[in-house]
Amino acid sequence: MISYLIKRVLWMFPMLIGISLISFFIMHLAPGDVTSTEASFNPKSSEESRQKLREIYNLDKPVIVQYGLWIQRISKLDFGNSFSSHQRPVLWETKDKNGNITKGLIQEALPITLLINLLGITVIFSISIILGTLSAVKQNSWVDKSITLFVFIGFAIPGFWLALLLMYWTGVSNQWLPISGLHSLNYQNLTLFGQFTDLIKHLILPVFVSSLSGLAGISLYVRNGMLEILNQDFIVTARSKGLNEKKIVFVHALKNAILPLITIIGLSIPGLIGGSVISESIFAIPGMGKLFYDSVLMRDFPVIMGILTIGSVLTLIGNLIADLGYAWADPRIRKGITK
Amino acid sequence: MYYKNIKPYLLIFLFCSFIFACGKDNSVNTNYQNYYDKESGGRLINAMTGEPSNLIAMIAGDSASSAIANNIFNSLLKYDESLNYAPEIAESWSISSNQKTITFKIRKGLFWADGEKLTSNDVMFTWKLVTDPKTRTPYASDYQLVKKASAPDPFTFVVTYEESYAPALDTWTALHILPEHLLKNEDINSTYFSRKPVGSNYYKLDGWKSGQQVSLTSNPLSINGKANINNLISRIIPDTSSQFLELTADNIDLMNINPIQFQRVFPSRKDLRNKIGLYKELGNGYTYLGFNLKKEPFNDKRVRKALNFAIDKNEIIKGVLLGLGEPLSSPYKPGTRWNNTKLKPYPYDSIKALALLNEAGYKKNKDGFLEKNGKILQFEILTNQNKQREMTAVIIQRRLKEIGVDVSIRVIEWASFINQFIKTGDFDVVVLGWSLSLDPDQYNIWHSSQQEPGQFNFLGYKNKRVDSLLEKGRVELDISKREKIYHKFSDILLDDSPIVYLYAGYGLSAINKRVRGIMKPSPPAGIYHNSYDWFIPKILRRNEISDI
Repeated sequence: MISYLIKRVLWMFPMLIGISLISFFIMHLAPGDVTSTEASFNPKSSEESRQKLREIYNLDKPVIVQYGLWIQRISKLDFGNSFSSHQRPVLWETKDKNGNITKGLIQEALPITLLINLLGITVIFSISIILGTLSAVKQNSWVDKSITLFVFIGFAIPGFWLALLLMYWTGVSNQWLPISGLHSLNYQNLTLFGQFTDLIKHLILPVFVSSLSGLAGISLYVRNGMLEILNQDFIVTARSKGLNEKKIVFVHALKNAILPLITIIGLSIPGLIGGSVISESIFAIPGMGKLFYDSVLMRDFPVIMGILTIGSVLTLIGNLIADLGYAWADPRIRKGITK
Repeated sequence: MYYKNIKPYLLIFLFCSFIFACGKDNSVNTNYQNYYDKESGGRLINAMTGEPSNLIAMIAGDSASSAIANNIFNSLLKYDESLNYAPEIAESWSISSNQKTITFKIRKGLFWADGEKLTSNDVMFTWKLVTDPKTRTPYASDYQLVKKASAPDPFTFVVTYEESYAPALDTWTALHILPEHLLKNEDINSTYFSRKPVGSNYYKLDGWKSGQQVSLTSNPLSINGKANINNLISRIIPDTSSQFLELTADNIDLMNINPIQFQRVFPSRKDLRNKIGLYKELGNGYTYLGFNLKKEPFNDKRVRKALNFAIDKNEIIKGVLLGLGEPLSSPYKPGTRWNNTKLKPYPYDSIKALALLNEAGYKKNKDGFLEKNGKILQFEILTNQNKQREMTAVIIQRRLKEIGVDVSIRVIEWASFINQFIKTGDFDVVVLGWSLSLDPDQYNIWHSSQQEPGQFNFLGYKNKRVDSLLEKGRVELDISKREKIYHKFSDILLDDSPIVYLYAGYGLSAINKRVRGIMKPSPPAGIYHNSYDWFIPKILRRNEISDI
């Protein structure tokens, strides 16, 4: 088991180098650099100053040299600073000589996105397991059909449209929830509990909208898994033994049916750090999606590479965790690995 | 059995939550029509789509940054309500008889927001900073023309140019003066000052929550006196539909709106009209169709003029801007002295267009397309991802099809657009925009020497008379002589038709009616010109629990 783990971890390094190499070159295939943004198309600015900027950022050097410089920095875990005029560090805060702390871009955006996505995943999985089980147990009844209809409507509704409707309904005509943003204007003056409820209020809509589209896939997974298990011999045996139906469904069947979900959870770990540009823009949430999108438009290479690197590390770790989780949950696989 | 007893309450609830979207009218019974006396205090909340990147304007390039920085910093000079030069940090200025030296007299008794004195040393320091090769500013070139600058005493600042430079005063309205005592030991490119600035204008920075909001509070040491409104909060809301919802829910007071909201939504919503005022003013830019003059057939003036006649500008203004724009006949803002009122835009006249094209050798072929030497007249309009420009291109395509010109449209992301097409000169026709700057100098855009890749005469315009007018206009400081030069320049440019002026759109703002003191109709300098004088009557204040 340990040797398997070490082998897997060691394999991650060449994979990472490969991923970074490909993303670096693909990124540079896109025409333009940070000096060709719309704001710099201003007759008051001069080509010389843009050229100067290119030299400062080494953008005048061949891509392979730029990649070498990047690898050199990243091997010291230095993700560099953004090319944007705010020059903020990509990953983590820095302190200047006067003790002023400049927060890192990812450092600020990641916790917000993680929080929303973790809440989203929790909501998706808990509701999906309930809905999927219900549909399977009541197969082909009106309950089953309306659940399927509901999850597919949720899947099909465009998120931005639903978001705007809900914002109007809960924020403008009823004023139950805040419309956008992460905190109220008087956030600083609230008590700790007040701050907590304020945050929750701001998160209800974004989490709801982002979860709705995920229900369809997972709940159908659970439903099909359940159906398959419920038709198996050991369930028949359990029933014939006169076992409590509640126990059969929730203890014997469900446990087996949600096994494949572990893989899905593992695979969704990299998705946890990727925010949705559209929903972040609509809800005015400064998360990872908007950060990545803006840096692509700006050709802000350090930020793009920073996010991609962190994303690929998390993907690889996610795969590993999924495999380990599987091994932990399923003795058959565990045996296979240790052999 | 347990699960059989589960009634689908949850399900019904979820379904109902979608369906029962009942609208409740909760308009506040505030009378916005009453008259109120001016009083200071209160908080104004506006929305912006982008976050400022850097509050040192010479380093930042984005409009969000300059919008905030303009509230914090001052320049030597400013434009007044009718767009004439007015004193700001300088109380007066004089130009030497050879027109090469400008002497600014700095006002006495000025202070930075931290209590330090503001003197000509700060001005000198700022000039050194902007011209320092280590400073990453795109705007250095104007200030590098200054051969010698000096601050002989704390209240005098003198600059001498190599040659007289007419846009000089304009450049001194744009340069925010920075405090030497806080920046002399800092690297301007990465200093924390850009997120924690100290200025001299109406407001000072109060707080900045990344990606969420920037708050300003009034600066008691402001060199222009105290602003009426105490706090300005700019919330960062990237999506304009969300901004609009926040506006209708009274959570924000001010936003920029689009023509559909202005012309369609507000007229049909009485509840909104009661509490929100609409303002329009000519914006600072125009949209044009530009020909690649180095390419056939656009090197033929008759073809350019014909296409100009064949495009109906009023139709575009009606269709794209819902009437909220104006046609242009020169690259200057209508209503300013530089705009030559004798010039009229090319009217829509397809017969004249066809006649000109016939003259240029084009005949209709059997498919109805115009043809010359076996080649039909066809080209591609290139534009960037901008809804209004895309719609404009479609309308043009249809009009030109009517006279037998085959036009295709291609929409490209900005950075690719600039690097693959503009810099390489590999395009036929573009739909793009230029700003309507307050100084009339257009040397960088129209002088024939400005055609290198990365420079701004990418259309390849070359006209000896225009070259010499632009050179003259740059060194002529006498305003009425200068006016004549640029009127002549606009005349030649319109006749040559290297671009088709399509429209200058209005800037549209929606402002909650509790905000008072806004000038209507807006002065030439725009409604925000006197925003320091706006006020919010106490009785109409809201969202201010935390202030108490």
